[in-house]
Amino acid sequence: MFKLNLKIALRNLWKNKGFSLINIGGLAIGLASCMILLIYVAYEWSYDKQFKNSDKTYVVYQNLVASGKTFSWPWTPNVMANEVQEKIPGVKYASHSTYPRPNLITVGENRLSAKVVFTDPNFLKILDYKFIKGNSNQVLKDINSIILTKSFAEKLFGNEDPMNKTVKLENQDVLKVSAVIEDAPANSSIVFECLMPWTLFEKREPWVKESNWGNNMCLTLVQLRDNNLFSSANAAMEGIYKRNSKDNVAVALLHPLTKWHLYSDFENGKSVGGKIDQLKIFLLLAFCILLIACVNFMNLSTARSERRAKEVGVRKAIGSTRKSLINQFFLESILITFISTVLAFILVEISLPYFNNLLNIKLTIDYTNSGFWIALFSLMIFTGFVAGSYPALYLSSFEPIKVLKGLKIKTDSSVSVRKVLVIGQFVFAACLIICTAVIYQQLNYVKNKPIGYNQANLMQIAVEGKMHDSSKLELLKTQLLKSGAATHVTSFSSDVTEGGNNTTNIEWEGKNPKELISFNHRAIGNDFIETMGTELMSGRALSSQLKNDTNNVMLNEAAVKMMGLKWPIGATITFWGNKMTNVGVVKDFVVESAYQKVAPMIFYIDNHSDASVMLVRLNPDQNISSSLAQIDEIVKGIEPNYPVNRKFVNESFEVKFQDEKLLGTLSNWFGGFAIFISCLGLLGLALYMAEQRKKEISIRKVLGATTGNILTLLNKEFIKLVAIANLIAFPLAYIIINKWLSTFEYRISISFLPFALAISVSIVIAVLTVSMQLIKVAKANPIDALKYE
Amino acid sequence: MIELKNIEKYYANKGVKSYILRHVTTSIKQGEFISIMGPSGAGKSTLLNILGMLEEPTYGEYHFMGEDVTAMNERKRIELYRNHIGFVFQAYHLIDEMTVAENIEAPLLYKKIPGAERKSRIADVLDRFNMVAKKDLFPNQLSGGQQQLVGIARALVAQPSIILADEPTGNLQSAQAEQIMDLFKKLNEEEGITILQVTHSEKNAQYGNRILTIEDGVIKEDVSVNN
Repeated sequence: MFKLNLKIALRNLWKNKGFSLINIGGLAIGLASCMILLIYVAYEWSYDKQFKNSDKTYVVYQNLVASGKTFSWPWTPNVMANEVQEKIPGVKYASHSTYPRPNLITVGENRLSAKVVFTDPNFLKILDYKFIKGNSNQVLKDINSIILTKSFAEKLFGNEDPMNKTVKLENQDVLKVSAVIEDAPANSSIVFECLMPWTLFEKREPWVKESNWGNNMCLTLVQLRDNNLFSSANAAMEGIYKRNSKDNVAVALLHPLTKWHLYSDFENGKSVGGKIDQLKIFLLLAFCILLIACVNFMNLSTARSERRAKEVGVRKAIGSTRKSLINQFFLESILITFISTVLAFILVEISLPYFNNLLNIKLTIDYTNSGFWIALFSLMIFTGFVAGSYPALYLSSFEPIKVLKGLKIKTDSSVSVRKVLVIGQFVFAACLIICTAVIYQQLNYVKNKPIGYNQANLMQIAVEGKMHDSSKLELLKTQLLKSGAATHVTSFSSDVTEGGNNTTNIEWEGKNPKELISFNHRAIGNDFIETMGTELMSGRALSSQLKNDTNNVMLNEAAVKMMGLKWPIGATITFWGNKMTNVGVVKDFVVESAYQKVAPMIFYIDNHSDASVMLVRLNPDQNISSSLAQIDEIVKGIEPNYPVNRKFVNESFEVKFQDEKLLGTLSNWFGGFAIFISCLGLLGLALYMAEQRKKEISIRKVLGATTGNILTLLNKEFIKLVAIANLIAFPLAYIIINKWLSTFEYRISISFLPFALAISVSIVIAVLTVSMQLIKVAKANPIDALKYE
Repeated sequence: MIELKNIEKYYANKGVKSYILRHVTTSIKQGEFISIMGPSGAGKSTLLNILGMLEEPTYGEYHFMGEDVTAMNERKRIELYRNHIGFVFQAYHLIDEMTVAENIEAPLLYKKIPGAERKSRIADVLDRFNMVAKKDLFPNQLSGGQQQLVGIARALVAQPSIILADEPTGNLQSAQAEQIMDLFKKLNEEEGITILQVTHSEKNAQYGNRILTIEDGVIKEDVSVNN
């Protein structure tokens, strides 16, 4: 029986090739979209979960109230780890480590900038990276040792055995390779290329040795003996700052490592979600796309019920039970699902590289993972059953006698069910169109919002090695200007596209002494205003040529507003205990998030070689590539030991929009797929209608209706469906997108445009789809349909 | 074999009952060849469908081999007609997606007959109907008469005790019709299969040994035929 049913199912597929193609294609696209989204969700979901004891591992966060807001950071003092290890009950290991930062590593002539983490041996006990070579108990103890990841070892040494060979750090320290470990997985929060002992860090930066509870400079990881001990440990953590340093108002807390990536947003010192919200959207999207693909399948299958009805009748008359018919139809749907899955696989494998490129991640299908196969298999069975349920139950319910007598099957109920299904599909599609349009508008709005300085042709060069010497820096500036590659050059104390140094240690007249207000502080070089392409609102710019200017500062507009200064020029400000005078007000410009208001900033002239980047305004009259070549040459001439690390400011600025861009791109693509699949569903309904109303159409034609009349008549019904779907979608989309927008400080107001777009796009597509199908029927010779009555 | 007592069938529409069958009482014995005749709309087909358990009477009693059919549940009823009743339709009603052999095999599958026996029975039937060469063809590759032969073969292969045929020759040319009727007669006489056919043709009715005439839902005549 099974074999025969299978054979018949295959014959049916082959006989109705066009129909099978629509059916299988729609389902395959749905399945492929769902699979890619699920792979992506799984990738994000498994962040930091690769370690054996990751569930017992916690990251120490500190909450600090400043400017009336609670800031939460995973930055802790260097003495935290020891204190936690000794005093907090239930702690198995605690480790401190630096965040990955680029350092120069050399082997012979091979110079590479590597992401380095300085840490202690406990780090490797908490995170059990797999050792390929070397002993995990012996590493990070010798001050002059280094652990390499596999890929970095290959970069340095090629195929040679790296063990016990030496590398040079920043051309200063000679380190012996003590172990090689597997690369940190792409989906982990701490990604590095080599590990070095903390003692080496202390030797290189002597200030690290000082025990200072006020200096939050490293990451502290804690592993508990048992998760039952969490609440007591967390409670003991809370007052750890206060116990060790009386005036410190910061509060520490433990945040699970497994939630570090996905639940990174804090409000009032409590985790309130983060990327997990986006992930939930994608999960929902995956499910919905699969569902509309299933709905499609149902629509198309039942649309052909006329043709299958006879078979059902005969089968029942010769002794089939309803159950065996249901089984038969389920078998068919599972067969189609199976073919679609195979096709979906091919689609996924083809599109993954493109997708990875688009999102800048590394998704792969792990074929050796049994979980993957189980998930795939259950996805297939689930799809087969959902898609097959309605056709199976509907088709098997035909009464044999009615079918065999040639009576028309009562179709009212099935048509309305199918209409509801199509409306459902279009509600989803319209929602997606609206949301995508609003996301696009918002992204555009924020991107085009003035950021306060001129990004174009602005480049930053990292200050490294010998460039830290202020005379060399001055030399670099002179050479750049002389070469004609740059029109203005200045220095800046942190990356201009990132947040960075801030302080609350600023006093002024009229300040509420109890309030902590956080100021960004930046050291700048000469010609800052001209290089950045920003504006001086009042006063004058700082200059190192003027002797007095070491005692002067500039403020940005936000700072003036926050401080409530009526006469900002000449105001006295106590900055880190020194009395300074404000000489200028700089227009607000964005350094952190483009979605948030600009924070107060204070500028002072750089006289301690605080520069971390050189800002270079390229000469617009000169060809860019030759300018770049000149710059490379000049930088190489001053510091030959480092690869030149330069980037365009607007490129690094783009990175800020990555999350929203990702959301936009994904909803664009999958929204497109959803609309496409929905159209297939509509096509199915049109096919059915055409078959059902063949006779009616023929009679109308005999009575004198034109093809146009008939198309209008038939389209009216579909337009009605799509319009209803849009009306349902509008409030739904409004609620969803409003919620999404409300997380942005700068946001567009929702206009009618996306809604108009949704309704017109869906109606135009629907009419095109339906007309394409119905025009055949409308044009057909009426006699063909009437003759057989 | 079959006892009908006061069978009625009507459709109620806005309180008005439109009768299809009224007070049909008759009995059919094993081995009879009965033709049901009457004008269009008289209720012939409905009676046949009720006998074949494809339709339920609104009222009345129907005993099939001593069992009360009207009181049976669906599973039992399907079991019963699977084993005892074979249908032959005017429009043949073969399954288009199946080959001749597969069409014949289908009822055996539902009866859960083991593979080896299925094969031998199909071979036997094909042989008897001279259709061995056509066993892998699809219905649309056959003539009407041949399709009806397949239809009869499909009804026979399950070895039913009664064959219900609704105008089996209605779509056929007279030569082919004659062939089918001869076949029925042979089956009835040689194998003792009870046959009940609905027909319009006086000539075809003469092949049987009893004629029931129905008019407006009522049995008007019940006569034996001597041939």
